[in-house]
Amino acid sequence: MKKLIALIALLAWVPHHALAQDAEAGRKKAEACAACHGIDGNSTVPQYPVLASQTARYIYLQLRDFKRGRREDPLMSPMAANLSKEDMLDLAAYYASQKFNGQNSRKTDGDIERGRAASDAALCTMCHLGGFSGQNEVPRLAGQHYEYTLKQLNDFKVKNRTNDAGNMTAVVRTISDEDLAAIAAYISILR
Amino acid sequence: MKVIGKSLLLAASIALAGSVSLAAAQEISGGATTSVKPMSSNLGAVTQKRLDGADMEKTDWLQVNGGYSQTRFFPGKQINTRNVKKLRPAFIFQTDVLESMETAPLVVDGVMFLTTSYNHVYAIDATTGEEYWHYIHPMGPITVYCCGPNNRGVAALDGRLFMGTLDAKLVALDAKTGTKLWETQIEDPELGYSETMAPVAADGKVLIGTNGGEYGVRGFVKAFDAETGAQLWTFYTIPEIGHEGVWATHDATGRNMLRDIAAEKRMLAERGGGFYKTLGGGVWMTPAIDRETNTVFFVVGNPSPDLYGDIRPGDNLYTNSMVAVDLHTGAYKWHYQYIAHDVWDLDAVSPPILTTAKGKDGKDRKVAIHGGKTGHIYVHDRQTGELIRFSEAMIPQENMWVLPTPEGERMLPGANGGVEWNPMAVNEKLNLAYAANLHQPMTYHVEPAEYPGGDKLWLGGAFKVIPGEEQWGRLAAVNIDTGKMVWKADTAQPLMGGVLATAGDLVFTGEGNGWFNAYDARNGKKLWSFQAGAGVNAPPVSYVVDGKQYIAVAAGGNTQLNFKRGNSVIVFSLP
Repeated sequence: MKKLIALIALLAWVPHHALAQDAEAGRKKAEACAACHGIDGNSTVPQYPVLASQTARYIYLQLRDFKRGRREDPLMSPMAANLSKEDMLDLAAYYASQKFNGQNSRKTDGDIERGRAASDAALCTMCHLGGFSGQNEVPRLAGQHYEYTLKQLNDFKVKNRTNDAGNMTAVVRTISDEDLAAIAAYISILR
Repeated sequence: MKVIGKSLLLAASIALAGSVSLAAAQEISGGATTSVKPMSSNLGAVTQKRLDGADMEKTDWLQVNGGYSQTRFFPGKQINTRNVKKLRPAFIFQTDVLESMETAPLVVDGVMFLTTSYNHVYAIDATTGEEYWHYIHPMGPITVYCCGPNNRGVAALDGRLFMGTLDAKLVALDAKTGTKLWETQIEDPELGYSETMAPVAADGKVLIGTNGGEYGVRGFVKAFDAETGAQLWTFYTIPEIGHEGVWATHDATGRNMLRDIAAEKRMLAERGGGFYKTLGGGVWMTPAIDRETNTVFFVVGNPSPDLYGDIRPGDNLYTNSMVAVDLHTGAYKWHYQYIAHDVWDLDAVSPPILTTAKGKDGKDRKVAIHGGKTGHIYVHDRQTGELIRFSEAMIPQENMWVLPTPEGERMLPGANGGVEWNPMAVNEKLNLAYAANLHQPMTYHVEPAEYPGGDKLWLGGAFKVIPGEEQWGRLAAVNIDTGKMVWKADTAQPLMGGVLATAGDLVFTGEGNGWFNAYDARNGKKLWSFQAGAGVNAPPVSYVVDGKQYIAVAAGGNTQLNFKRGNSVIVFSLP
């Protein structure tokens, strides 16, 4: 009985992350992604992002942006080029429904306190939510690989990545490289 | 007992569906209402007559801000300055949702209706906290919203409850059972529309605005038929023609906003005015209604994108304005714009209050007042919109109106205010308006960005708090006849939540650090505090059941300021 209650309680939350798309179909489609992102989205390679527990909305929009050329990456752009809208929604639903296993690349010797303070000043959680758990089109960052997060922050800063409607570009512009590294370290230890 | 009953019921529904697979269970939980204890037989319908008397109501709390005037003043004085120190919890109701709570519960005939983030609704016994029913909105696949998955409460009329949802629907529930009666799609959530505000019901209509000023929506207030959900009228907060306005150079307080009007006019000639479709102008909070003239008063939020103004030349009417429209038709009556062509997100959010104040000639006038993110309280003639006066700044202002730059410019107040969405309260006997303020020094940054399609946050820049600079809150009492601050009570953290005033000469408001406080309405002396264990960032309410007065407030923390989350409504009474 307790399990049933837990299930129901859980279901109250699931719909916000997992779209009413076919996560099961997504599982099969995700086989092509497993080499880099891991079978269940728990990537073990620091330069490829953890996708498990990411918001479905964010994954869908990023895939769409890769396909449209609004976000570019030598590996991802060709992967996304041939995806249909349904493919993208299914993949998004699949990864969103997978559980983050806590085995990401962490920067434990980074200046965690500095990162926390710098992220407070930049009001990160106003959009990314408390604990960087993400919401809708604003990604979950908690437990993301240190190296991947840092690369994204730098890409926003030098405008290698511009598919954020200017928000992140504006945020990181005045944050020092040391603070960006500290923020990435802080994010990497969050669960 | 409660838990067993509930789980059996759920188990039975799942068994009926014939499967415990995820999809099947999801259908059951989606839209399901679970009932625990039989609904109180005392619960009557909230008739139009009751709503019309709600401002003077001595027992129930029938609208989120008290009544149509939204004074958030409760006439009960059983709890007062002399005995408030004895106030203690009567019960704590824990919801299933641990996330930001901005709900103001309604209390009808001893039954409390409260909401949570992600659009849960509960009906509970307002004296014991026992649950009658629990409704979970079946959220659609697409939700796009800024500042947290909040909900600020329901409206009641003729046995129905009305709630706006994050996926931009208006839902009607049977107040007795929690059963859904109808739902209407208000707008397309994929384009950035969402609902967190409590609607208001009057004259067979349900009125609701929209969020989305951070996503490039075209804001509105819409009216729906309370019985059927059919749409009756729409007032767009961005007119298709004329949104460029009068090219105002100064704000409502007479300060130059440093606009480059020539450049704006060139841009308008170049681009045309078609950007009205993405110009923002959300309406975040419940409108006030003057039932004598059937006039609806609301304030309109910022233009989109928030900080980048070059691509939206003109005054951007009716953003950052108070607007009055006809209740029956939605026809425009008047507007007053506080800041034309805003590039600071210092918009108008806190709900208008209808009260009386002295005109410039010293005679009583019917007024509509608004507490701005600028830190001023603005006092308008209700009939014409004329700005009679604005209060002195309740919090420090500096460097207004320096334009945002890519590297950031320091200006006070920060982009959260002043007075954020926090509803104010008014004690008419004392002529005081009580406003919960924030002080958050910030830098304002601009970043050119074209409309990203409605599915991404579109700020056109950023605002950041300044490390090392102190942030704090201020509960301010302002004499609306003079505009002077009569007293102020400062708090350790910026205030987000709202205020309740009572005839016991008390003022209640909560803090992000968990303290819920009562102050002497006459001098601001703190008389009582309770540590709630999570941020108290919701508007308190008061009511009477069986001759006993209660104070209720949600303690769920806050997304926007990242205050500690909780899941409870705490109800207080005297021993």
